[in-house]
Amino acid sequence: MISAADTAKAQRARGALRLSARRRGPLSEIGELYQAGSMRLLFPQRRGPALSAVMLNTAGGVTGGDQFALDLEAEAGSHLTISTQAAERIYRAQPGPSGQVTNRLVLRDNTRVDWLPQETILFDQASLSRRLEIDMTASSRLLACEALVFGRRAMGETVDQLHLTDRIDLRIDGRLAFADRLRLTSNAEAQLARIGVAGGAVAMATILFAASGAAGHVPALRDMLPNTGGVSALSGDLIVLRVLGADSYALRQSVLPVLAHLNQAALPRTWMI
Amino acid sequence: MGMTIRTATAPTIIITMTTDPHLILHQIFSPAFPVGAFAYSHGLEAAVQGGIIGDATDLQGWLEDILNHGSGWSDAVLFAHAARGDDIGPLNELALAMVPSADRRLETEKQGAAFATCARDLWGVDLPNAAYPVAVGRLVHLLGLPQRDALRLYLQAFAANITSAGVRLIPLGQTDGQRITLALAPLHQTIADRAITADLDDIGGFVPMVDIASQRHAALYSRIFRT
Repeated sequence: MISAADTAKAQRARGALRLSARRRGPLSEIGELYQAGSMRLLFPQRRGPALSAVMLNTAGGVTGGDQFALDLEAEAGSHLTISTQAAERIYRAQPGPSGQVTNRLVLRDNTRVDWLPQETILFDQASLSRRLEIDMTASSRLLACEALVFGRRAMGETVDQLHLTDRIDLRIDGRLAFADRLRLTSNAEAQLARIGVAGGAVAMATILFAASGAAGHVPALRDMLPNTGGVSALSGDLIVLRVLGADSYALRQSVLPVLAHLNQAALPRTWMI
Repeated sequence: MGMTIRTATAPTIIITMTTDPHLILHQIFSPAFPVGAFAYSHGLEAAVQGGIIGDATDLQGWLEDILNHGSGWSDAVLFAHAARGDDIGPLNELALAMVPSADRRLETEKQGAAFATCARDLWGVDLPNAAYPVAVGRLVHLLGLPQRDALRLYLQAFAANITSAGVRLIPLGQTDGQRITLALAPLHQTIADRAITADLDDIGGFVPMVDIASQRHAALYSRIFRT
């Protein structure tokens, strides 16, 4: 007989992906590729020298107890662009462990990685523990965007209960250059309404851009941002940008020009729909 | 009450003093201690100019968010680890990496350096320059000062400094400012008590409005504070 616990166990999704990008002549190509469980990579038709990959969660989202792990490596000289086919949905979790998502990016010498997943949408009673760990060399170039949407306002959804920890560690030549330790638990709707939190906004994006001379982009980016956004150069080669949006649509309106400016190339098609 | 000073220089010198350690705490957290705290608003100036903060209620809410979910809590945990003698290298690296803007990096680095410089001169301790909460926590360790009391006073001094900035910027009456300081006292106690036993992995919060205000400060047309 199958117990309820076994059923719950069986329903938990597992996914693992490993991908390396390798430079061959002027082009970046797939080096190593490993896919297991409910995570898949799609490789759309090439539009330039970069290797473009689109992540697909075949489980349709993340809920409590799920475990997803992604390891990406840009080998020397390569250019890798990553996006997702759809917004990631973090669904209501049953009591128990949080969904675990661990994303690791390694940028070897003279590489470029564009980490451009679409928004992560958190539903009421979602429970997620997520990490983004980036290890890069100072000779590389990184553009990373993470957008969070707390309930779909247009659908009348609110997030009353939430357990979210979302951690970013960016290391440049082994030194911790930026660390984000986002933690939002209990009544997210009430928290988001607070004056120092989001003033009622329900969507937020964080963009990191690490490249030689990155600070030079600050004035142009400042002019693009609404008054709910800010950008700062933590060093000459690293800028951090944070922007709030009243909903996911407003957030995209703020984020798209910033990404288009920093990407200096067409954004992944999944962003353009 | 006696106290012991250990310096990290070899050979270890142990100095026993008879000064009440609370007098040392009040000295290092006094606005007169030359760290230049009065020059920093932690992003408040941008929030006032941006119309986000307009009265005492707004300011108190803003401070509660910083204390509960922003650098108040994060710095308290870093302080507590430094105060119990943990290696300050990784603590300092994390403290600086968590700062969301160049202004805030300046705020914690400059105050930390000024604090360490003065402490070295006063007590002859081997205290390197570090982010402000890490430098202060380290001195608490080196002088064997009471950690929980130190952390409570640290939080109160931090919030009272931003409150003073608010009194000037909004502006508010002096009594309004003191009312906020009094109202926040229980929060300083509970946050200090939790931070004393917290792990570094317990660090975390969510105050994007505060982060964004600190990022926007550098672009303000006219400024009276450095952050």
